[in-house]
Amino acid sequence: MAERRTLGAAFALSLVVALAALPHLLTYSQQEILVFLVINVLLVMSYRFLALTGEWSLGHVVMMGVGAYASALAAKRLGFPVPIAMLAGAAVSAAVAWVLSFPLFRMKGFYFLIGSFAAGEVIRLLWKRFRDPFGGPKGLKRIPEIADIEWGVLQVDFFNPVAYYYFCLAVVSLSLWLLWRLERSSIGLTFHAVHWHDGLAASVGVDTRRYRTLALVVASAFAGLSGALFAHYVGAINPTRFNIEEMVYVLTWAIVGGTATFYGPILGVVMLTVLNEVVLRKMGLEQARPLVYGAILIAFVMFLPRGLESVVPRLARLRLRRPGSARA
Amino acid sequence: MRDFFSKRLSRRRLIGAATRASGALAAASLLPQRVFAADNVIKIGFLAPLTGDVAAWGKPGLDGCRIWGEWMNAAGGVDIGDDNYHFEFVAYDNEYDPGKARAGATQLIHEDGVKFIMMLGGDTWPGVQPVADNTGMLFSTLLPSDLSPETTTLLAPAEVHPIYNVTGVDWLARNRPELENYVICAQDDALGIPSVATYLAAFEAAGIEALDDPLLFDPATTDFAPVVTRMLSAKPDIVCLDTAYTDYVHPICEQLYLQGFEGQIISCTADFYDKIIERTSVEFAEGLVFQFPDFDDPALETQGVNFREPNRFFEEYNQRHPGEWGAVSWEYASIMDLWTAAAVKAGSVEPDAVLAAMKEGGTGLHAFGEADWWGNELFGIDNALVGNWPVVVIENGKAVIKEFGNIPEWWSKHGDLLVKHMEAFGQMHYQRG
Repeated sequence: MAERRTLGAAFALSLVVALAALPHLLTYSQQEILVFLVINVLLVMSYRFLALTGEWSLGHVVMMGVGAYASALAAKRLGFPVPIAMLAGAAVSAAVAWVLSFPLFRMKGFYFLIGSFAAGEVIRLLWKRFRDPFGGPKGLKRIPEIADIEWGVLQVDFFNPVAYYYFCLAVVSLSLWLLWRLERSSIGLTFHAVHWHDGLAASVGVDTRRYRTLALVVASAFAGLSGALFAHYVGAINPTRFNIEEMVYVLTWAIVGGTATFYGPILGVVMLTVLNEVVLRKMGLEQARPLVYGAILIAFVMFLPRGLESVVPRLARLRLRRPGSARA
Repeated sequence: MRDFFSKRLSRRRLIGAATRASGALAAASLLPQRVFAADNVIKIGFLAPLTGDVAAWGKPGLDGCRIWGEWMNAAGGVDIGDDNYHFEFVAYDNEYDPGKARAGATQLIHEDGVKFIMMLGGDTWPGVQPVADNTGMLFSTLLPSDLSPETTTLLAPAEVHPIYNVTGVDWLARNRPELENYVICAQDDALGIPSVATYLAAFEAAGIEALDDPLLFDPATTDFAPVVTRMLSAKPDIVCLDTAYTDYVHPICEQLYLQGFEGQIISCTADFYDKIIERTSVEFAEGLVFQFPDFDDPALETQGVNFREPNRFFEEYNQRHPGEWGAVSWEYASIMDLWTAAAVKAGSVEPDAVLAAMKEGGTGLHAFGEADWWGNELFGIDNALVGNWPVVVIENGKAVIKEFGNIPEWWSKHGDLLVKHMEAFGQMHYQRG
């Protein structure tokens, strides 16, 4: 047990060092991509949290947008400091999800999927329809960024992608820790029960609708936070940024990575972002992106239906079987 | 390889092959992508959508720039200061996303060392604006509605969309005085709305009556039958298609044809109009007014047009990219003419020197004639190059330039109408975002 703990601590320490060093090994534009990658990790992980109850939504990216719009307006119109505005964005996203849960959880499965898409489209149309305050189809721009820090020798400019990466990394790490703790708690176990045996869970007194609502609200809050992180970095948002096409990307990350383990969606988003933003771009094959994404999705559904996460234990077993291995 | 296909495709074999292919792709991605012999190379950034729904207003422009660059380099390059330079275009597909546009701008500036960046603009510009403000890089946009007094290094030197649309309406009013009323539809987005305001002003100035409020459809619309039915219910003389993407113009025209419309059509663009004729008829398309000429038009070989060998450019473009000539095929290349002239004048390729040389005297050589740096009343800054713009009409299945309309002249008479309608749609620079 002690050996396992030591190994775990060593792994965690190595991960922290690697994540801290990572931006310094990349080019400037790759640092920019890294910021978006970290934000997308939070988005896809919040999506997985919702999927724990067995419900797959097509409105999750719109909830990201709700957080982005709310945070941008709180900072622009109400003068909130950006970190407070971000929390407000997450709270508004959670509140909107709670309101939507009333009609949406009258449905299940495929009907919930379509219902969530319709609800998301209603929200997107509202952003387009009401130019004040949402800016209409052009959206919002000149969204305030986080104020620079100037404390003596410590000077941080958040326009710099490395500084914003560290900020995002801290926010996303804390968020993932909270999601992990929730999943490991009795609430998380109940989510699994609602997913796999909702009738049985209801028969022993579990209010399944309440737990589904809780998953939707929490997942939307973190999706909203990811939207706020995006809005205050790019400085501009519009309804197109949160459309169904973006949702398809999130679904692809989740399916390619797998959703059974905590790290599955992270593997998916990292692999596909590197493929999309680094490999295909470097090779000048951007126009082949839809083809590549389609091929990958089909290949994974056919040959790796449980995603990249299912490869990890196999690799671990292979390592253990290798001659000379400690446990061989 | 034969061995690979001769055996049954299993999961293990597929994963193995995919891993090897990924490794090869990754290794190839580390190899240098461009090799250029000349020492003095000016790198020009091309930051526009090359894939996705809006690619039709990015990719053809890059193709045009590559022809322009090859011609310039084959002619020995250009002398700037004491040095001779060749040109290289570095493209970044921003997928019409502001976040990716920001990443692209930083790559072009910090890693590729470009001296000038051309953009389509629109939704992507707000993501790039902080980069422009922080680096002082010189940018161009095709959409002057991106201009604002806050960013002095953004220019609209080729296209003054949507202001030039007034020339089409003005020509129509003078040449078809029997047309008394109109209806207009547009996609409800950043491109459609300012164009609607411009058309409303132009029709009002021409004394042509609006039969209905502008019909704004969602950009996700794919079925245009109801849109057209509603427009035609007012029995208009003119149907105006605003500045719609090709994916809207073609099905709307098809619906107009199917629903028996025989009146006048006016549109900002009619890209790939031969396809419209294929889907309708030569008779139906006869007289359609729009704003983007084919460059084989003899009118472009006349004095005063500042585009280098337009007829030959059109021929070369169509040889390399048959059937792909569109509204932007020549525009980015014409911006390069303007930039090159300014760099030669400045004796430098540095952004601030080129900008100062370009705007010196308040005038510049636009593709369609001498033009003024203008825009303070609408955009808060005189960074749009405005002069003449062609009015194009389809005659016997071919686009023909009818005249070069004078935008400043129209503005001096009807500028207040344009401001009124732009304000009504919240499009003035002080109303945005």
